[in-house]
Amino acid sequence: MTDLQLDYALDLMRRLPPQKVEKNLSDLIDLVPELCEDLLSSVDQPLRVLRDKQTGKDYLLCDYNRDGDSYRSPWSNTYDPPLSDGAKPSDRLRDIEVSANSAFDSYRELYYEGGISSVYMWDLDHGFAGAILIKKVGDSSPKIKGCWDSIHVIEVVVSLGRNAHYKLTSTVMLWLQTSKAASGTMNLGGSLTRQVEKDTAVNDGNSHIANIGKLVEEMENKMRNTLNEIYFGKTRDIVQDLRSLTPASEKDKRQVVANELKSKFGK
Amino acid sequence: MSDYADQISDQERDRIVHDFITHSPPGEVETILNDVRHLLNKDGSSNLDKMMMSIAKYRLEQFTPVVVDKENVLLTTHGALDNNRFLDPRSKKTFHCNVAKKEVSDIQAASSEIDQNAEGYRSEIDNGLDKYIKEHYPSGLLTVYGKSSGGSISIIACIEDHKFSPENFWNGRWRSEWKIEIEDGNAKVVGVLKTQVHYYEDGNVQLMSHKDCKDNLTVSSEKQLAEDLAKLIAKCESDYQVAINANYNSMSTTTFKALRRQLPVTRTKIDWNKILGYQIGKEIGK
Repeated sequence: MTDLQLDYALDLMRRLPPQKVEKNLSDLIDLVPELCEDLLSSVDQPLRVLRDKQTGKDYLLCDYNRDGDSYRSPWSNTYDPPLSDGAKPSDRLRDIEVSANSAFDSYRELYYEGGISSVYMWDLDHGFAGAILIKKVGDSSPKIKGCWDSIHVIEVVVSLGRNAHYKLTSTVMLWLQTSKAASGTMNLGGSLTRQVEKDTAVNDGNSHIANIGKLVEEMENKMRNTLNEIYFGKTRDIVQDLRSLTPASEKDKRQVVANELKSKFGK
Repeated sequence: MSDYADQISDQERDRIVHDFITHSPPGEVETILNDVRHLLNKDGSSNLDKMMMSIAKYRLEQFTPVVVDKENVLLTTHGALDNNRFLDPRSKKTFHCNVAKKEVSDIQAASSEIDQNAEGYRSEIDNGLDKYIKEHYPSGLLTVYGKSSGGSISIIACIEDHKFSPENFWNGRWRSEWKIEIEDGNAKVVGVLKTQVHYYEDGNVQLMSHKDCKDNLTVSSEKQLAEDLAKLIAKCESDYQVAINANYNSMSTTTFKALRRQLPVTRTKIDWNKILGYQIGKEIGK
């Protein structure tokens, strides 16, 4: 019964305006509090930023570095507000997490030329899992506000031998907003989610990071193309389907001319 | 997270359900209602009346079309009469409508519902705009209302066009509402234009846009005002659409590009072993 309820709740979240995802989600949790944990872990929200008081570096907040009401920083590995018994990765996994954070910091700089990134990892029975988060707020134009949030969740199952199975679920949220005299207010935003699975050879912790890095890079490159098509192609085409700038009579005339040309010169 | 365990009040629950229903994307209110009803199943159908009221409010705001004697009419607050009856000013009929279910019944000829002082302007404007709608809206609908009070006449023109394609995971709707206040040879024109598009294949992307317009026209005759008004509305709406297209261009060529590059400056994908080697080098160098 609850599984079905979760399906209905998730269906609501993929229909209600994404521009209000935080408000919709908190309302939905109020409505069905028994789904609280499921909803928090399956509905992606725009990433919030907190500053690590020890290192002075910013990090990103999500359900994966949350324990109760505290969030763990990937830089100092401490919780804010402090938690003495907050969940942390094992020492071995923390080493991988530290390397992954610096590797994805370089990745972020190369592709985003700014922004904030954070990687969180947690142990699983037969491997581990991680969340790679990137946020970039656009400042290129004073008139158009833009923001990009990437949330990559990777599950790694390490089998005997030298292979690992990787399952990547990626969500990119893209928010664009402008208010001008000619166009009025225009708000184009939301998210897309994609999944991929792959088996790859592993030697050590670093080859996990390289394998995950390649997967995430390929996925983000693909999703960037898809976002480009859907945001600036598809939704725009739909607007042109609703209203035509060219009058219907003009279109008919053009068609007549085209047909005449065809009958004269065609074949 | 303990606050989530607290039960919300009936009032708060009704507020949330109302918000969900009235924020439905175009063409999806029935699905949203179905989702909400399943989530509230423990409460039975006690909320159903309130939900139906929310849906009715939503449908009027969305300018939902219904068919009355084979003619399309928009359901709007401007056409609402008492006892769930509505006016179709063009065919001069009134009808009963269960707005939540879009069921039309008991169609009757209108009489006192037609304001004869406004009817001259109303019908000319209806004709003028109808030609414009046919030119620019592939499935556009128009309902024009007229009312008089003292020496002034007020006309409200509602335009709606929608395209629902749930099999391809998208829906969209355009709405315009134009209010024309005619008094002393002058017409004040105020318009609100709205577009909403929902794309939801493996995601949830929405375009929400609206623009307010304002202008004045001088009035010499009913026919001339209708012509001028159609020209003015055509220009305002085309300008709005051109500006939306311009925003699409700059969002895609400037804002989007500046958020994330297609490839790093080096124009090659990342060599992950090199990045990791570099990190290790940094560690050793410490």
